[in-house]
Amino acid sequence: MMSAHDQNHQINQDKSDDNTTHFGFQTVEKNEKESKVASVFHSVAQQYDVMNDLMSFGIHRLWKRFTIDASGVRPGNKVLDLAGGTGDLTAKFSQLVGREGKVILADINSSMLNVGRDKLRDRGLVQNIEYVQANAQYLPFEDNTFDIITIAFGLRNVTDKDMALRSMYRVLKPGGRLLVLEFSKPEHELVNKAYDFYSFNILPKMGELVAKDGESYQYLAESIRMHPDQETLKTMMDAAGFEQTSFKNLTGGVVALHKGYKF
Amino acid sequence: MFAQSVSALLETVINQFLRYNLHGTRALKPLAEKTLTVQLAELPFPLSFSVSDEKIHVTINDEHSDCCLITSISSLIELKKEQQLTDLIKNNKLDILGDLKVAQRFADIAQSLDIDWQSELAKRIGDIPTYKLGQLGQQLREKLSFASNQVQADAGEWLVHEKRLMITAAELSYFNRDVEQVVQQVATLSSRLDELINRVSHTNLIK
Repeated sequence: MMSAHDQNHQINQDKSDDNTTHFGFQTVEKNEKESKVASVFHSVAQQYDVMNDLMSFGIHRLWKRFTIDASGVRPGNKVLDLAGGTGDLTAKFSQLVGREGKVILADINSSMLNVGRDKLRDRGLVQNIEYVQANAQYLPFEDNTFDIITIAFGLRNVTDKDMALRSMYRVLKPGGRLLVLEFSKPEHELVNKAYDFYSFNILPKMGELVAKDGESYQYLAESIRMHPDQETLKTMMDAAGFEQTSFKNLTGGVVALHKGYKF
Repeated sequence: MFAQSVSALLETVINQFLRYNLHGTRALKPLAEKTLTVQLAELPFPLSFSVSDEKIHVTINDEHSDCCLITSISSLIELKKEQQLTDLIKNNKLDILGDLKVAQRFADIAQSLDIDWQSELAKRIGDIPTYKLGQLGQQLREKLSFASNQVQADAGEWLVHEKRLMITAAELSYFNRDVEQVVQQVATLSSRLDELINRVSHTNLIK
């Protein structure tokens, strides 16, 4: 029996038509994926934070802290939190960059952006945050704008990842760094099997129970398997122009943090 | 991820303390956007404390810091006494890089924390249970202090008088006095010997 990652590899190999991409395990037209992903996130936006805590047993907070630590953020920095969703990273960055700094919370999905904006405003974080609805492939910012760009659990939903990485490279300042926090491939086969079981049997049921939307969480599990593994993503970052690229596996490779610089 | 767990826990505890502080978070204002990094010998990662408007953020990041202390937990505790600072640096127990004033201001905040635990507790469980708990705590402290003193005294008695594993202070003092006397006698004897050797060598020269 093929594991989810083998299926991923197989599907990628089978994919011969350049106008198609994957939406979970389905092959769809490229222009279809965006709206399909959008409908998933419109559906889960309100329960997104609760589900994150439930699904990861709260560990996503530590993964995000790790990302903040690796960002080397300092007062006065300009940060782009891409696919920032409900603003977990933005909240922390906003406090660390201070009054002189700025954080742009960008997300392609208006529902996620609204939930994020409401949450941050309720926490009194208003001074240095801007909200932008933007597609990662066509970032609406000038060249060399940001000191730090983060994209946490967002890249796998992007239709053309290479194009998005090139776009991020363009808007990053020389000396700036990109941090990609994303689900990845567990390092050990046993963990991989347990993770597959959890993702395909428990996760959708949890989604059905809490967010009343099992299908979206089925997509989540499938999209994770279709996402490039650690080495492939690193190669993609190199190809986009990033230098000194590296990655760090977290929780046995369930999640990986990729880092790359623009010089 | 252990490092992130530690920093998250520390951050929560510190900010809770600041929230309960009777002087509020005003003390943080002069330190806004300043960062103090502490590298403890006991921890394999640095801890950076950054101040925003009303909060302290703890991160594992030493790329940017206004002041960096490289020390150990025991030396950090000794730092409470300002006069210890020079001694600790001289004895290589403390290294300071950057603006010392930042570290001093952080220390001032830590020392000026004034928390009215009773009123905080009363808000949650009510006045009477808080009063009773306070009384219970006081009694417990007194009993523990008495028991601790008693145990120390009994252990001393047992070690010194019953088992004779240790000597009394008086015996130690006698021993020290005797050692000093021996030292003096040895010094006298040594100078006497030197004198005799000088005389013998002088006589040999004359012959």
